Order: sequence, then structure tokens, then C-alpha cells
Amino acid sequence: MEFTLLWAVLVGVVPLLAVLRLAPLPDARKDLGDIVLTAAMIGLLVGRLAATVASGVNPIQRPGDIIIVRSGVATGWATVAALAWAVWASRPLWRRALDNAGPAALIGLAGWHSGCLLRDACLGPKTDLPWAMRLDGSVVGRHPTELYAAALLVAIGGLLWFLVKSRPHLAGTGLPAGLALAAAGATRLITEPLRPALGDGPIGWYALAIVAGLVYAATLTIRPLTSEADAG
Amino acid sequence: MTLGASVGLVRAFTLRRAVALVVILAACGGSAVPLALGEDLPPTSPEEIQTLIAQTDTPVIINVWASWCIPCRSEAPLLVAAYESLGDQIRFVGVDISDTQRAALEFLAEFGIEYENYFDPNRTVPASLGRAGVPLTFFFKTNGELSYVHPGVIDERTLALRIDELLEG
Repeated sequence: MEFTLLWAVLVGVVPLLAVLRLAPLPDARKDLGDIVLTAAMIGLLVGRLAATVASGVNPIQRPGDIIIVRSGVATGWATVAALAWAVWASRPLWRRALDNAGPAALIGLAGWHSGCLLRDACLGPKTDLPWAMRLDGSVVGRHPTELYAAALLVAIGGLLWFLVKSRPHLAGTGLPAGLALAAAGATRLITEPLRPALGDGPIGWYALAIVAGLVYAATLTIRPLTSEADAG
Repeated sequence: MTLGASVGLVRAFTLRRAVALVVILAACGGSAVPLALGEDLPPTSPEEIQTLIAQTDTPVIINVWASWCIPCRSEAPLLVAAYESLGDQIRFVGVDISDTQRAALEFLAEFGIEYENYFDPNRTVPASLGRAGVPLTFFFKTNGELSYVHPGVIDERTLALRIDELLEG
């Protein structure tokens, strides 16, 4: 997506931090906001490294290529790395931390997608629908694809956040985090056909996120944690 | 063993593993096989590029690049992919600026760039189009009208969207 990176980070991080502040982890031994932001940065780095290698460039020989973030970030590897860091950094309460961070992460992702408005980069295939948007100087109406994704993420993130707030016993069951991961994957998978692309896009990774999220949620919901020690 | 000694051992072990990882990764890249270089790039001028655009009955995409430009390396695979899938509907043209012939040919060989490329060591082409810097990507409609200029590295979404816009127009 053709976003100015700093703007994209800003519009993604601000709602994320706002939601985390509204719903702090009551028994957190560590700062959840720090963990999530660090996870995002590590995910960005790993995703960029993976994209660099995938394009046939050795990042050791050409370290300067790594900083060209706008050339692409491998979504799947970035997600895996960010989740791995979040789990490691929030141990032994990692399951509870993920459940609290999951809905907030969806809201942050929605903010990041809506950053497309700042760079005229929201658009997908042409359409005659009343809410179609146009590139500057163009007569061709197009789907505001990234805004669809943002709206979906806000709706699901808000729903999950309400769930966690109204039923505190769910925090630590894995249900909110699992559903959040599945929702993030599903949102990208659903909107992917509406994104201009030269290839198929990483739809395998999106499908994997859905399956992994649902399996994680189901497994831990069926066998809920019984004590703090289980959380390790 | 004291705590300090243990920490020192752990740090030394971690450092060795990090160095080993870097060496292995470095060894994975690059090729000792020399790339096959083609003929020297033909020099061009603003007038020739304007003529090329005017005489082409399809949209034209002109990418201004240089072998020393890191973002150009990053976007080259995207342009190759676009050319391979849409080269029959859009004319892709590369203009190499502020470069040497050998470095330019190595760049083209490394990325397997097969669309036409021209040599412009004095940057006259982008200057005539009112732009400076590298990379630059110009999108021209079939009638020769400039549709869009993308300064800096271009990403897949933007390239695909602007190509779609060219083909719709």
C-alpha cells in the first residue's frame, strides 16, 4: 500500500494505544503497550527481511535494501514474528496478554488501513456503486477497498473488545486472541480480490491465520486455564 | 562458577551463534557465475522519448532508474512482473541515468529486464519532464497525455492500480 510510512504508523498506533489505555491488563506485570509496539516493530523488520530475500536480494550483502519498507513487507512472516515476540515478552501471562491485546490490535490495524486516505491509496477495481471513489483527474469510480477492510476491523475489534470488557473471565481463555487473529486473516482474505495486484497475493497466509486463530481459540476455550501457573 | 562468569559464557555463546548465522546467510546469496551482458544501451534524448511516446499506439510506462539506486533494485522485480503479464498492452521503457554502461548492463542482467532501455547519463529525459531524482515512473495514456508520475520506489498496489487506470482510459 502506498502509504507514507510515518503517517501509516501514526494512524495505526494511536487508536491501538487508545484502546489499550481504555482496557488495561488489570494484573499485567509488564506494560502491554510496550510489548505490542515492540512486537509491531519486530514484525515489520522480519517481514521486510523476508520480502527482501523473496525478491532475490541478500540482505547481508545489501543491508540498505532493508530500509525500503514501502517496497513490501511479507505479511505472514511479519505476523509470526510479532506474535512470537509478544508471547515471549509477556510470559508467563502471555495468553492473558494476547487476549487483551487482540481486539486493540484489530482497531490499530483498522487505523493503519484508513491511512490510505492520506495518500490516495484506498482504491481497488472499478465500480458504479454510489460510494465509489476516484483517483485525482480520473473518471473511473473504484471500490474504496482499504476502507472496507478498516470498517470490518473496527466492527470486529469493537465487538471483541466489548466481549472482553463485559465478560472478564474470558481473558486468558484464548477466545478473544484467537478470534482476533482469525478476524484479521479473514478481513484480508475477503478484501484481497478487491486489491489491485500483479499476482495472487499472500492468500495462503491469510487462510493460515484464520485456521490458526480458530484452532487456538477452540483449543483453549475447551480446556480453559485453571490457574496462574497454567499461563506459563 | 560465579554469576558474572556464567553471564560471560552465555554472551560469548550467543555472539558465536550470531556470527555463524551472519556467515551462513552471507554465503547463501550472490553468484560466482558472471552475468551475461548484452549490447550497450542506446543513448537517448528528450526529443527521442517524446517521439517514442507520440508514435506508440498503446499506453507507455517510463521508468527512470540507475544501477546505484537502492530503491530501483527494490522495484525492478515488480516492473519485470508487470512487463511479463502486460507487455502486449503497454509499452515499458527504461531510462538509465547518471550511470556507466557496464553497471547498467549488469543491473539489467541481474533482474532479467527484457523491455527496452535507454542511456541518459546527463539526466536530460527526467529534467525535460520536469522531474528530478531516481527512481521515477511516468504513466502516459495512449494519446500521449501524462496520466501520473510516481516519485520514489513504487509498490505493487500502486503499480497495478495505475496500470489499470491506464488501460481503462
